[in-house]
Amino acid sequence: MKNPYMPEIAKITEIRDEALGERPIITFKVAFQNGHDFNHKVGQCAMVGILGIGESMISIASSPTKKGYLEFSIMKMGKVTSALHACEAGDTISIRGPYGNGFPLHEWKGNNIVTIGGGIGQAPLRPIIQYILDNRGDFGQLDIIYGARTSNDLCFKNELFELEKGKDAKVHLSIDVEEVEWTKFVGFVPDNLLKIKPSPKNTIAITCGPVVMIKYVIKNLLELGFSDQQIFTTLENRMKCGIGKCGRCNVGPVYVCKDGPVFSYATLKNLPEF
Amino acid sequence: MDSFILQKDKLKDFFASLEEYEIWAPVQNGTTTLFEVIKDLQNLSLDLKHQALISKSAVFPQTESLFTFDRNAPPQETNLKEKKETIIFGIRPCDARSFHLLDPVFEGDIPDPYYLNRRNKAVLIGIACSEPFLNCFCTSVGGNPFSKEGLDLLFTELNSAFYIEVITEKGKKIIDKTSTLCASSSSEESTQKEQMEHTSESKIKRKIDLNNIPEKLTAIFEHPIWKQLAMKCIGCGICTYSCPTCYCFDIQDETRARKGRRVRIWDSCMFSEYTLHASGHNPRPTRSERLRNRIYHKFKFNIDNFGVVGCVGCGRCITLCPVNLDLIENLSIIKEVE
Repeated sequence: MKNPYMPEIAKITEIRDEALGERPIITFKVAFQNGHDFNHKVGQCAMVGILGIGESMISIASSPTKKGYLEFSIMKMGKVTSALHACEAGDTISIRGPYGNGFPLHEWKGNNIVTIGGGIGQAPLRPIIQYILDNRGDFGQLDIIYGARTSNDLCFKNELFELEKGKDAKVHLSIDVEEVEWTKFVGFVPDNLLKIKPSPKNTIAITCGPVVMIKYVIKNLLELGFSDQQIFTTLENRMKCGIGKCGRCNVGPVYVCKDGPVFSYATLKNLPEF
Repeated sequence: MDSFILQKDKLKDFFASLEEYEIWAPVQNGTTTLFEVIKDLQNLSLDLKHQALISKSAVFPQTESLFTFDRNAPPQETNLKEKKETIIFGIRPCDARSFHLLDPVFEGDIPDPYYLNRRNKAVLIGIACSEPFLNCFCTSVGGNPFSKEGLDLLFTELNSAFYIEVITEKGKKIIDKTSTLCASSSSEESTQKEQMEHTSESKIKRKIDLNNIPEKLTAIFEHPIWKQLAMKCIGCGICTYSCPTCYCFDIQDETRARKGRRVRIWDSCMFSEYTLHASGHNPRPTRSERLRNRIYHKFKFNIDNFGVVGCVGCGRCITLCPVNLDLIENLSIIKEVE
């Protein structure tokens, strides 16, 4: 019997600052010491930690089409993420997983895709974008709607600015309050969504961000004519085991770690507590 | 199945012939009774004046080491294979049933090797409840004081002897090893046991009809009743720590210098930190959401997920609650709420 609580040791090969300031976000690029792949699905998570400090459930920010490494984009928030932020390239961390169901990308083939992210909530959406770009012929139009409090809080800026120039995706960035140099949308993500008005025809919308943003995004998607089955989100809760046993991440009868983190709105709307 | 008779004064000899097993049994500890590994059979306490604290710790310890680590070496898994086979003696039928509720959680899609290793090595020897306790309500949740579910052997206390019923092959093995001490039972003894079984069930005073509870719970999630029910609660968590079907746990690292271990510890859904996000957001911020979740978990979600009520009716959460929150009363209120 494989012991699901035993982590593997991985080395941090690269550290990139995503957001500076009071809520800093770092992207960690890591590789297992024997070089093997993690065999994860887009949308799955991993328990990332430091022995002696603890573990946190973190979404995997890179697509499995990127071989030989994993990326995690992590905001400095509690005990474990603060310790991770103190790490340097070359340090080792512990990883176990992958956990959860992931996005049903094979079912979405041939559809247009809209991702709607807020703040660090863009991290679990990033592997969808990478996967589509690596399998560009399998999907229709790709719209990336993403916002943060300030331009400093936007993650993956360089990649998104680069994508804006090309034809593979349409990128719609926003910040919450005006800034001198900012020429794009100013306001909240759900409002930007209403301004862009993606057509629901053959389209799947996936959203992730603060709970209040998710609720308004879903409300606006329904207003735009999206059905419950066309709307997906990925949730987070406090977790300890990652395998549906320790109890705490339940939303009604389902556990975010093993039954999620990806839920269609058709499922979600029947759950108490959401 | 087969039944035998063991004289009470031969109980020590019975265990002496089972020395290859680690024996857990109720031990008097101050004013309470705890399940412990028996090193000296003198300490064995069968005359329970208090409900023994739950036996689940023999399989699911309150604290256990998952692995050890040293900063420069790969983590070392706790050796599970060396563990001896265990006899859990004196377990009550309700507590034995609770293992049937815990098993599917720890089996699941990804099995838990720590729990399953202990569980597979445990022989459960029950003692029938001829004198149910004040708050016992096992008959309302599918059990009874002589239930054999989950047990390998069931002992019933006749006057000076135990009437032993063999339930499983594991139980038969114990009888084979102690065959010189166990005699065949007579038909009078069987009749006496059956009579005790009948009268003990009628001694259970507390009852609740759970018939419409899951449907009712579906309808009243946002009802103000949860605030009212939780007003008395002080969030101490004793209802969960003393519950034989509660299994929630926390995982923490303990370190000294460069070495350490990762441990898992019982946790409680009645604590605010249990669900608190690092961001400060808490999906269950007050005691009313937490009490609601506990009742939903036992009386709805467990039925949704495993097809069975997540309660064995031991009554400990009622007896031990420092503010007299009474699960049966609460369920009765929930049934009537509009």
